[in-house]
Amino acid sequence: MISTMFSLLVERRDWFFDLLLQHIGISLVSIVLAALIGLTLGIAIAQWRRGAKPVLALVNFVYTIPSIALFGFLIPVTGIGDLTAVVALTVYALLPMVRNTYTGLTTIEPAIVEAARGMGSTDRQLLYRIELPLAAPVIMSGIRSMATMTIALAGIASFIGAGGLGVAIYRGITTNNLAMTLAGSVLIAALAIAVDLLLGVAEKATRRHMEPKPRRSRARAAFGGILRPQHATLGAAAGTSGHSADSAGAGASVSVSDTALDAADVLLDDGEAGRMPEFQNADAAESRRAIAAALTPRRRGVTVIALVAALAIVVGGAFAFANRGGSGGDTVNIATKPMTEQYILGEMLNTLIEHDTDLNVELTQGVGGGTSNIEPGMEQGDFDLYPEYTGTGWNAVLKHEDTYDESLFDTMQQEYESQLGLTWVGTYGFNNTYGLAVSKDVANRFNLRTYSDLARAAGELTLGAEPDFFDRQDGYPGLQQAYGMSFASTRDMDISLKYQALFEGQVDAIVVSTTDGQVADDRLVVLEDDKGFYPSYLCCNVVRMDTLEKHPELRDELLKLQGTISDVDMARMNNAVETQGQEPKTVADTFLAEKGLI
Amino acid sequence: MENSSAHMRPTGSFDSGDSVASAQDDKGRRFDACARGGSGSSLASCIRDGGGESVAGCHPERSAQRGVEGSRAAPAPASPEPAVVFEHVTKRFGDAIAVDDVDLRIDDGAFVAIIGSSGCGKTTLLKTVNALVMPDEGRVLVHGQATSSADPIELRRNIGYAIQGSVLFPHLTVEQNIAYVPTLLNSGDKDRTEAAVAKWMDIIGLPRDIMDRYPAELSGGQAQRVGIARALAASPDVLLADEPFSAVDAITRASLQDEIKRIHRQTGITVLFVTHDIDEALDLGDKVLVMEAGRAVQFAPPCDILRAPATAFVDRLVTRKRTVYAR
Repeated sequence: MISTMFSLLVERRDWFFDLLLQHIGISLVSIVLAALIGLTLGIAIAQWRRGAKPVLALVNFVYTIPSIALFGFLIPVTGIGDLTAVVALTVYALLPMVRNTYTGLTTIEPAIVEAARGMGSTDRQLLYRIELPLAAPVIMSGIRSMATMTIALAGIASFIGAGGLGVAIYRGITTNNLAMTLAGSVLIAALAIAVDLLLGVAEKATRRHMEPKPRRSRARAAFGGILRPQHATLGAAAGTSGHSADSAGAGASVSVSDTALDAADVLLDDGEAGRMPEFQNADAAESRRAIAAALTPRRRGVTVIALVAALAIVVGGAFAFANRGGSGGDTVNIATKPMTEQYILGEMLNTLIEHDTDLNVELTQGVGGGTSNIEPGMEQGDFDLYPEYTGTGWNAVLKHEDTYDESLFDTMQQEYESQLGLTWVGTYGFNNTYGLAVSKDVANRFNLRTYSDLARAAGELTLGAEPDFFDRQDGYPGLQQAYGMSFASTRDMDISLKYQALFEGQVDAIVVSTTDGQVADDRLVVLEDDKGFYPSYLCCNVVRMDTLEKHPELRDELLKLQGTISDVDMARMNNAVETQGQEPKTVADTFLAEKGLI
Repeated sequence: MENSSAHMRPTGSFDSGDSVASAQDDKGRRFDACARGGSGSSLASCIRDGGGESVAGCHPERSAQRGVEGSRAAPAPASPEPAVVFEHVTKRFGDAIAVDDVDLRIDDGAFVAIIGSSGCGKTTLLKTVNALVMPDEGRVLVHGQATSSADPIELRRNIGYAIQGSVLFPHLTVEQNIAYVPTLLNSGDKDRTEAAVAKWMDIIGLPRDIMDRYPAELSGGQAQRVGIARALAASPDVLLADEPFSAVDAITRASLQDEIKRIHRQTGITVLFVTHDIDEALDLGDKVLVMEAGRAVQFAPPCDILRAPATAFVDRLVTRKRTVYAR
């Protein structure tokens, strides 16, 4: 598994590198925003204490909203994609920022504040020169934990169509590619650790006065310093600061005294250095200072500023990179649901459109939540087209309560065009309808063959399905009405995990799609829909009408795939990805080539 | 024991030779060492002689000026503008009364030691001078201007402030601590600030090589010295010191006391020095203000305090002291 992961990382390094940059972009923009807003809020409530309680309660409350739910709330406001991700991550990161800033500022010893005030500091001077520097260690540790948290949390931003390494994780889960999931996770962890170490250095710098060590150098620090020449050479070789090295050289007398040796020892044992009592040999103290001066940068502040600048550049660069090509009139934004077959269809559309036209395709694969997140994005114009299923359009989008069959297509088409500004173009040919499957054991034990049989035994069984199945009119509520089917318990689970759950006996029945690659597995039995409950789910493209107007050539491309993919074709291709581990793109291109389309 | 030895002790790290010399500060005022150098014996004589002429002998107040004006016999004629005036100042915190109708004037260049048990209001009184506390009744004038009408920031920058344990800013080096007020005033003028820091480090007896240390790296005595240097670095007219030497050992404290006396002589700064230690008060002050439950119960030169305590409280404070000198 590990070696598969590494070969995957090497093989697809460009793709992973892009995802990594996107991840850095999204999370660091969120971190910087949260740091700025959180710092401001924290300072504000430290000054205006009456506001502290409500503000802290609010950020605390926001922090407890499950991330998926927060994404859900934000999508109608900020749409699908990076913006929503940044907003959500920023909102989450506020709590540690505000709380640490507030705590840092309010726990400063009052005598220090009073001393500063009594000496004639203005409020501003008090804040910038005394309070913030003293609160800095607490604030920095807040930034540090917040940054790590944000980088990890950014992994689920792909759920709402944002980029980042979460894309790899989610795709790995959806297409049964564990190595890919692992690779994404490992990269996120590595990024988090790297940032944590980086911020650890900055945090340490803010604590330097608490763990005093000889750090800052001045020419005078070397006066009287008893240094052996090699120390001076060492300092010069380190080359950290020409100025310091010079002064160390100037102070280097040739005395090979014990104190100089002591000083060298002290330098090696850095932790001890600062605690050397002052009444010890002053020469030793001097030389230790001089050596340290030669070996450390002249001013820590410069290092910190350099670090911050470096971060800012990375942030700016990465975000610009992540956003490149997002606009521009000649780009078609295609979304797909987190299903293997949709990944494949997405790649087909990508290849075909870029092969035959001048249009660029921006493919957002596997948007979490499927229809419920993509459809609003379509209406807002975040996406131009996505593959959808007719029955889902009728029940989930248009919210009709009756069962869809293909005789209703014209009605649906007319409602889509008039109500949503969207239209259906190009039917692929396969019908991905729901089916109920049970494990072979359960089928034998309860003698199950049809849905009616299942309804009889349901009271002792557990059903696993995607969360939206339990809400949709064409899902569980419909089944309960049609068959009087009522399971002992139900479990929400992601499309890709339910087969495993079934095989492991965690659930007894699952909802399957007729094109699932894993439907062929002989450990499960698909039951017969004896009352014809399930509607038709023909796969078609839903397209924005204004996109078609702008790019009429797009319609021709979509129609090229009309009726080309059968149920069997789709299940075969799904299987190729899910169990044979092929890339969706490879499978898609192979199919297009077989059909002579490219 | 500790007290009497303090007066005999050599003056510590600085050259004791200049401690008896006349000094002239930057405002051109002339200060004479007067009786302070020999205050120990004078105080003792207060007791032994029971007052009389010797009181004038140990009375250090403005003797140089009075010498010029030729009115030695008249008790303390007011100089045209006292440094600090308390006009019936009262301050309450809730029901508790911290300062109760304090009404007195502190002459320019005086060294006033404020003594009292803890909670007697001496710190609160001190804070009314630099407007950290505003009186509920009455007013405080600093160089003729009421603190209520002054810009508190400007006011504070002209008043040195050294507080209990000399709370240094832990994130700033010795140099940055001392330079704190000068950089508030003239942040652009680096050379001037550096010169001021160097000057005050020398005056206060701090070795230059500790400039880059953080307060956590200093000994107690060094920290107190830095605290004093910080309070004085902007050359204020008035120094408010709130038990600045409370956190150091007796030997270090004695040497710090000597130095602050010397600085007072050298600069002619007006000092208000809060302490709970009667020895320190009698030793340092030209005048001693005794406070009890918020009221100023006696404001007089050390001799008078020893010889004629105004209240039973003052009497209790100085009883032991008197027996020590009587020996």
